[in-house]
Amino acid sequence: MRFELLQPGSLAEALEMKKDHRERAKILAGGTDLLVLLKDGKLKAQAVMSLGRLSELNFIRSEGERGVAIGALVSHSDVAASRIIQQRCPDLAEACAQVGAAQIQNLGTLGGNLCNASPAADAAPPLLLMDALLTLASARGERRVAIHDFFLGPRRTVLEPDEILQEIFVPQPVGRRGATYLKLGRRKAMEIAIVGVGVAIHLNGSDRIVSECRIAMSSVAPTPLRARRGEAIFANQEIRDELIEEAAEVAAEEASPISDVRATRGYRLDMIRVLCRRAAREALARARNHKAEGWR
Amino acid sequence: MKIPVTLKVNGETYDLIIAPYRTLLDVLREEIHLTGSKKGCDAGDCGACTVLLDGKPVNACLVLAATAQDREILTIEGLARNGKLHPLQEAFVKEGAVQCGFCTPGILMSLKALLDSNPAPTLEEIKIAMAGNLCRCTGYSKMFKAVESLDRSRDAGLF
Repeated sequence: MRFELLQPGSLAEALEMKKDHRERAKILAGGTDLLVLLKDGKLKAQAVMSLGRLSELNFIRSEGERGVAIGALVSHSDVAASRIIQQRCPDLAEACAQVGAAQIQNLGTLGGNLCNASPAADAAPPLLLMDALLTLASARGERRVAIHDFFLGPRRTVLEPDEILQEIFVPQPVGRRGATYLKLGRRKAMEIAIVGVGVAIHLNGSDRIVSECRIAMSSVAPTPLRARRGEAIFANQEIRDELIEEAAEVAAEEASPISDVRATRGYRLDMIRVLCRRAAREALARARNHKAEGWR
Repeated sequence: MKIPVTLKVNGETYDLIIAPYRTLLDVLREEIHLTGSKKGCDAGDCGACTVLLDGKPVNACLVLAATAQDREILTIEGLARNGKLHPLQEAFVKEGAVQCGFCTPGILMSLKALLDSNPAPTLEEIKIAMAGNLCRCTGYSKMFKAVESLDRSRDAGLF
């Protein structure tokens, strides 16, 4: 592992450097993925650009009823410990608290988790459920990309060679909503998800009618993804066990898991169904407990 | 090309000239000769290299030394004060919570960070705090007992 180290002091400086170096410079945020890949020789870099000095990208900011803005460099432990996140996106706090263990959560960043574009990224399902918007910055300007359009494949995103992920914006959902993220591993910590499933349920006034259901999955396809056909089964339906079973079946059909060292394809498909059912029941319980004033 | 880097370790300042790609773990061990932080996996999996960076536990093998400039680094060598062991270390000795000893420095640093923010942790909280530290002797039970044996009213001034 040998490289030149770039340490810009501001976002503006970092964007100028990225414009000049492009692919030549890999971006270092928390380092929990990049340094492991570089040490293994799985990735070569002539230059590494550390964003460690860009304190301007380390913020969690409530924007009232519009939503929450999270700087790309906020650590997993800061996301998990944030009162704003716990109140508004409890499933995101849960997901970040399940990344590695304390040492990894203190280093790894929300932006790094997304830009690393692992199919198993824990932060992706909750952000997919919330229709998060990502601000990609370059010396040319900024653009906003929906998280649904961000991932292209394992370790591939729509980031251009001169771009840096600046901010993750989580729009505020309307009404009564409950959500959860469940991660399956052999143990509770230091695991890459065998399967991850997030479910969000929106209730329409009554405790029984689901106005909208959203399902997001990780480790079951080349990118984290939503199970749109599974979601549609709930739309404006009175919730019943048979609907939950059916949605879990359909969600598994939408996945395309592989067999690898962590699990076989068949096991993953089974676990999607199990986690979907559990997550849907938990999300429903949370939606029923949800007090609208808590979202302000 | 080497670069100048100033590190603050255990309250001391070290002015170093190092290659920019060297990890904090390698620089602590090979330049500053603080070999208490261990290199187990060198990939962020085992926790043997755990140090506190601005009070928070991190894997020193996943931090570039150059990016730790001007931050407060605490290693196992900085845990004892004025020749007196930290109460956690005393408790580990008393409970026999050390087997081969390779994981011990990292585990003590994780537990030190836990106690700094949570002086009376539950067993579950102790386990969560230690989840990133592997003990291949599997001697976890005595470590849990050691933490639970701490008398915080007596040791309050030492934490």
